[in-house]
Amino acid sequence: MSTTQNGAEFEAISVHNFTEKILEQVVHFHVMKFSGGFFLWVGSAPVLSNLAVSMSSRYDSMPLSTLVLGDPSNTAPNSLAQRLAKKTNKQVFASYSLPMTDSNLSLLVENRIKKELELHPEHF
Amino acid sequence: LASQQHQFSQKEVNGIPTEVVCTEFSNYIFVVLTQYGKIGTLISVTPDSRSNDINEVWLDEIPMTHVCAKNLGMFVSQEAGSRPVLLGLALKDSSIDAVKQIKEIIKSCQVW
Repeated sequence: MSTTQNGAEFEAISVHNFTEKILEQVVHFHVMKFSGGFFLWVGSAPVLSNLAVSMSSRYDSMPLSTLVLGDPSNTAPNSLAQRLAKKTNKQVFASYSLPMTDSNLSLLVENRIKKELELHPEHF
Repeated sequence: LASQQHQFSQKEVNGIPTEVVCTEFSNYIFVVLTQYGKIGTLISVTPDSRSNDINEVWLDEIPMTHVCAKNLGMFVSQEAGSRPVLLGLALKDSSIDAVKQIKEIIKSCQVW
Protein backbone atom coordinates (compact mmCIF):
# COMPACT_ATOMS: atom_id res chain seq x y z
CA MET A 1 0.00 0.00 0.00
CA SER A 2 1.28 3.47 -0.74
CA THR A 3 0.07 6.82 0.54
CA THR A 4 -0.61 9.90 -1.54
CA GLN A 5 0.14 13.48 -0.59
CA ASN A 6 -3.25 14.02 1.00
CA GLY A 7 -2.93 10.86 3.08
CA ALA A 8 -5.41 8.71 1.15
CA GLU A 9 -4.50 5.03 1.02
CA PHE A 10 -3.89 3.57 -2.38
CA GLU A 11 -3.44 -0.11 -3.10
CA ALA A 12 -1.38 -0.44 -6.23
CA ILE A 13 -2.29 -3.11 -8.77
CA SER A 14 0.22 -5.96 -8.81
CA VAL A 15 0.83 -8.74 -11.26
CA HIS A 16 2.02 -12.30 -10.63
CA ASN A 17 2.84 -14.95 -13.22
CA PHE A 18 3.56 -18.63 -12.78
CA THR A 19 3.77 -21.65 -15.04
CA GLU A 20 3.22 -25.35 -14.51
CA LYS A 21 3.48 -28.39 -16.74
CA ILE A 22 0.24 -30.29 -16.31
CA LEU A 23 -0.42 -33.55 -18.18
CA GLU A 24 2.34 -32.81 -20.69
CA GLN A 25 0.99 -29.33 -21.34
CA VAL A 26 2.63 -26.08 -20.35
CA VAL A 27 0.01 -23.98 -18.60
CA HIS A 28 0.55 -20.31 -17.86
CA PHE A 29 -1.20 -18.42 -15.06
CA HIS A 30 -1.42 -14.64 -14.96
CA VAL A 31 -2.83 -12.92 -11.88
CA MET A 32 -3.59 -9.22 -11.67
CA LYS A 33 -4.43 -8.24 -8.11
CA PHE A 34 -6.50 -5.10 -7.54
CA SER A 35 -8.39 -3.62 -4.61
CA GLY A 36 -11.06 -6.10 -3.52
CA GLY A 37 -10.31 -8.78 -6.08
CA PHE A 38 -8.21 -10.16 -8.88
CA PHE A 39 -8.11 -11.03 -12.55
CA LEU A 40 -6.86 -14.53 -13.35
CA TRP A 41 -5.98 -15.72 -16.84
CA VAL A 42 -5.12 -19.36 -17.50
CA GLY A 43 -3.90 -20.66 -20.84
CA SER A 44 -1.15 -22.09 -23.03
CA ALA A 45 -1.16 -19.56 -25.83
CA PRO A 46 -1.49 -15.85 -24.94
CA VAL A 47 -5.05 -15.43 -26.12
CA LEU A 48 -8.01 -13.95 -24.22
CA SER A 49 -10.79 -16.26 -25.39
CA ASN A 50 -13.33 -15.54 -22.70
CA LEU A 51 -13.90 -13.59 -19.49
CA ALA A 52 -16.28 -14.18 -16.62
CA VAL A 53 -16.73 -12.15 -13.47
CA SER A 54 -18.06 -13.33 -10.15
CA MET A 55 -18.72 -11.88 -6.70
CA SER A 56 -20.56 -12.83 -3.54
CA SER A 57 -23.94 -11.32 -2.80
CA ARG A 58 -26.47 -11.55 -0.02
CA TYR A 59 -29.00 -13.19 -2.34
CA ASP A 60 -27.40 -16.59 -2.69
CA SER A 61 -24.82 -18.71 -0.96
CA MET A 62 -23.16 -19.17 -4.35
CA PRO A 63 -21.55 -16.04 -5.80
CA LEU A 64 -23.23 -14.33 -8.75
CA SER A 65 -21.43 -14.90 -11.98
CA THR A 66 -21.71 -13.58 -15.51
CA LEU A 67 -19.90 -14.12 -18.79
CA VAL A 68 -18.53 -10.88 -20.19
CA LEU A 69 -16.68 -12.17 -23.27
CA GLY A 70 -16.70 -15.46 -25.13
CA ASP A 71 -18.90 -18.37 -26.09
CA PRO A 72 -21.72 -18.93 -23.57
CA SER A 73 -21.66 -22.69 -24.23
CA ASN A 74 -18.29 -22.85 -22.48
CA THR A 75 -19.03 -22.83 -18.77
CA ALA A 76 -15.40 -23.10 -17.64
CA PRO A 77 -14.65 -19.41 -17.00
CA ASN A 78 -17.91 -18.93 -15.10
CA SER A 79 -17.46 -21.91 -12.79
CA LEU A 80 -13.83 -21.05 -12.19
CA ALA A 81 -14.68 -17.42 -11.34
CA GLN A 82 -17.52 -18.54 -9.10
CA ARG A 83 -15.48 -21.09 -7.15
CA LEU A 84 -12.63 -18.66 -6.63
CA ALA A 85 -15.00 -15.88 -5.56
CA LYS A 86 -16.52 -18.22 -2.99
CA LYS A 87 -13.13 -19.34 -1.72
CA THR A 88 -11.53 -15.89 -1.50
CA ASN A 89 -14.64 -13.79 -0.87
CA LYS A 90 -13.38 -11.31 -3.46
CA GLN A 91 -14.47 -10.10 -6.88
CA VAL A 92 -12.93 -12.47 -9.42
CA PHE A 93 -12.42 -12.02 -13.16
CA ALA A 94 -11.48 -15.35 -14.72
CA SER A 95 -10.38 -16.31 -18.19
CA TYR A 96 -9.77 -19.95 -19.09
CA SER A 97 -8.09 -20.60 -22.43
CA LEU A 98 -7.36 -24.32 -22.41
CA PRO A 99 -9.07 -27.05 -24.43
CA MET A 100 -12.21 -28.26 -22.72
CA THR A 101 -11.86 -31.81 -23.97
CA ASP A 102 -9.93 -33.00 -20.93
CA SER A 103 -11.85 -32.67 -17.68
CA ASN A 104 -8.90 -34.11 -15.83
CA LEU A 105 -6.81 -31.17 -16.98
CA SER A 106 -9.24 -28.58 -15.65
CA LEU A 107 -9.35 -30.31 -12.29
CA LEU A 108 -5.56 -30.34 -12.03
CA VAL A 109 -5.41 -26.73 -13.18
CA GLU A 110 -7.84 -25.69 -10.49
CA ASN A 111 -5.86 -27.60 -7.88
CA ARG A 112 -2.74 -25.77 -9.00
CA ILE A 113 -4.52 -22.44 -8.56
CA LYS A 114 -5.63 -23.44 -5.06
CA LYS A 115 -2.08 -24.42 -4.21
CA GLU A 116 -0.82 -21.01 -5.33
CA LEU A 117 -3.56 -19.34 -3.30
CA GLU A 118 -2.32 -21.18 -0.22
CA LEU A 119 1.37 -20.58 -0.87
CA HIS A 120 1.10 -16.96 -2.00
CA PRO A 121 -2.19 -15.40 -0.85
CA GLU A 122 -0.57 -11.97 -1.13
CA HIS A 123 -0.68 -12.26 -4.94
CA PHE A 124 -4.47 -12.67 -5.11
CA LEU B 1 5.13 -16.27 -21.41
CA ALA B 2 7.40 -14.46 -23.84
CA SER B 3 4.79 -12.85 -26.04
CA GLN B 4 2.56 -11.75 -23.23
CA GLN B 5 3.87 -8.59 -21.75
CA HIS B 6 2.55 -6.13 -19.30
CA GLN B 7 3.38 -2.56 -18.50
CA PHE B 8 2.54 -0.47 -15.46
CA SER B 9 2.27 3.22 -14.94
CA GLN B 10 1.28 5.08 -11.84
CA LYS B 11 1.00 8.85 -11.93
CA GLU B 12 -1.03 11.59 -10.31
CA VAL B 13 -3.60 13.25 -12.54
CA ASN B 14 -4.91 16.47 -10.96
CA GLY B 15 -3.84 15.11 -7.59
CA ILE B 16 -5.57 11.76 -8.04
CA PRO B 17 -3.37 8.64 -8.19
CA THR B 18 -4.02 6.97 -11.51
CA GLU B 19 -2.86 3.56 -12.59
CA VAL B 20 -2.58 2.22 -16.09
CA VAL B 21 -1.84 -1.47 -16.53
CA CYS B 22 -1.54 -2.88 -20.06
CA THR B 23 -1.43 -6.62 -20.76
CA GLU B 24 -0.89 -7.94 -24.25
CA PHE B 25 -2.76 -10.95 -25.56
CA SER B 26 -2.63 -12.12 -29.16
CA ASN B 27 -6.25 -11.13 -29.78
CA TYR B 28 -6.67 -8.19 -27.39
CA ILE B 29 -4.77 -5.61 -25.47
CA PHE B 30 -6.24 -5.50 -21.98
CA VAL B 31 -5.88 -2.04 -20.45
CA VAL B 32 -6.90 -1.19 -16.90
CA LEU B 33 -7.18 2.55 -16.32
CA THR B 34 -8.21 3.23 -12.76
CA GLN B 35 -8.35 5.81 -9.99
CA TYR B 36 -10.22 3.49 -7.65
CA GLY B 37 -7.76 0.59 -7.59
CA LYS B 38 -10.42 -1.55 -9.28
CA ILE B 39 -11.15 -2.68 -12.83
CA GLY B 40 -14.46 -0.77 -13.24
CA THR B 41 -16.53 -0.65 -16.41
CA LEU B 42 -15.39 -2.95 -19.20
CA ILE B 43 -15.42 -1.79 -22.81
CA SER B 44 -14.42 -3.83 -25.83
CA VAL B 45 -13.19 -1.85 -28.85
CA THR B 46 -12.85 -3.85 -32.05
CA PRO B 47 -11.84 -1.66 -34.99
CA ASP B 48 -13.64 -2.34 -38.19
CA SER B 49 -12.70 -1.02 -41.63
CA ARG B 50 -16.21 0.37 -42.08
CA SER B 51 -16.98 1.66 -38.62
CA ASN B 52 -15.53 1.55 -35.18
CA ASP B 53 -17.31 -1.21 -33.36
CA ILE B 54 -17.51 -0.49 -29.67
CA ASN B 55 -19.14 -2.88 -27.33
CA GLU B 56 -19.74 -1.89 -23.75
CA VAL B 57 -19.61 -5.31 -22.21
CA TRP B 58 -20.17 -4.51 -18.56
CA LEU B 59 -21.70 -1.17 -18.21
CA ASP B 60 -22.20 1.79 -16.04
CA GLU B 61 -25.48 3.71 -16.31
CA ILE B 62 -23.85 7.12 -16.27
CA PRO B 63 -23.67 8.68 -19.77
CA MET B 64 -20.42 10.50 -19.01
CA THR B 65 -18.68 7.21 -18.36
CA HIS B 66 -19.99 5.92 -21.67
CA VAL B 67 -18.61 8.91 -23.60
CA CYS B 68 -15.31 8.86 -21.76
CA ALA B 69 -14.94 5.11 -22.20
CA LYS B 70 -15.57 5.27 -25.94
CA ASN B 71 -13.14 8.14 -26.30
CA LEU B 72 -10.36 6.44 -24.36
CA GLY B 73 -11.09 3.01 -25.80
CA MET B 74 -10.74 4.28 -29.34
CA PHE B 75 -7.62 6.21 -28.44
CA VAL B 76 -5.91 3.12 -27.01
CA SER B 77 -6.95 1.06 -30.00
CA GLN B 78 -5.49 3.61 -32.42
CA GLU B 79 -2.26 3.92 -30.39
CA ALA B 80 -1.97 0.16 -30.58
CA GLY B 81 -2.21 0.21 -34.38
CA SER B 82 -5.94 -0.42 -34.60
CA ARG B 83 -5.86 -3.56 -32.51
CA PRO B 84 -8.79 -4.77 -30.46
CA VAL B 85 -8.75 -3.43 -26.95
CA LEU B 86 -10.47 -4.48 -23.75
CA LEU B 87 -10.53 -1.44 -21.51
CA GLY B 88 -11.34 -1.43 -17.81
CA LEU B 89 -12.19 2.12 -16.76
CA ALA B 90 -12.76 3.57 -13.27
CA LEU B 91 -12.18 7.31 -13.11
CA LYS B 92 -13.01 9.81 -10.36
CA ASP B 93 -12.14 12.72 -12.60
CA SER B 94 -13.11 12.43 -16.24
CA SER B 95 -12.70 16.10 -17.14
CA ILE B 96 -11.20 17.00 -20.52
CA ASP B 97 -7.99 18.04 -18.83
CA ALA B 98 -7.72 14.76 -16.93
CA VAL B 99 -8.44 12.71 -20.05
CA LYS B 100 -5.68 14.63 -21.90
CA GLN B 101 -3.18 13.76 -19.18
CA ILE B 102 -4.34 10.16 -19.12
CA LYS B 103 -3.79 9.89 -22.85
CA GLU B 104 -0.17 10.92 -22.28
CA ILE B 105 0.21 8.15 -19.71
CA ILE B 106 -1.30 5.63 -22.14
CA LYS B 107 1.19 6.68 -24.80
CA SER B 108 4.08 5.89 -22.48
CA CYS B 109 2.64 2.49 -21.58
CA GLN B 110 3.92 0.77 -24.67
CA VAL B 111 3.11 -2.87 -24.68
CA TRP B 112 2.34 -2.68 -28.41
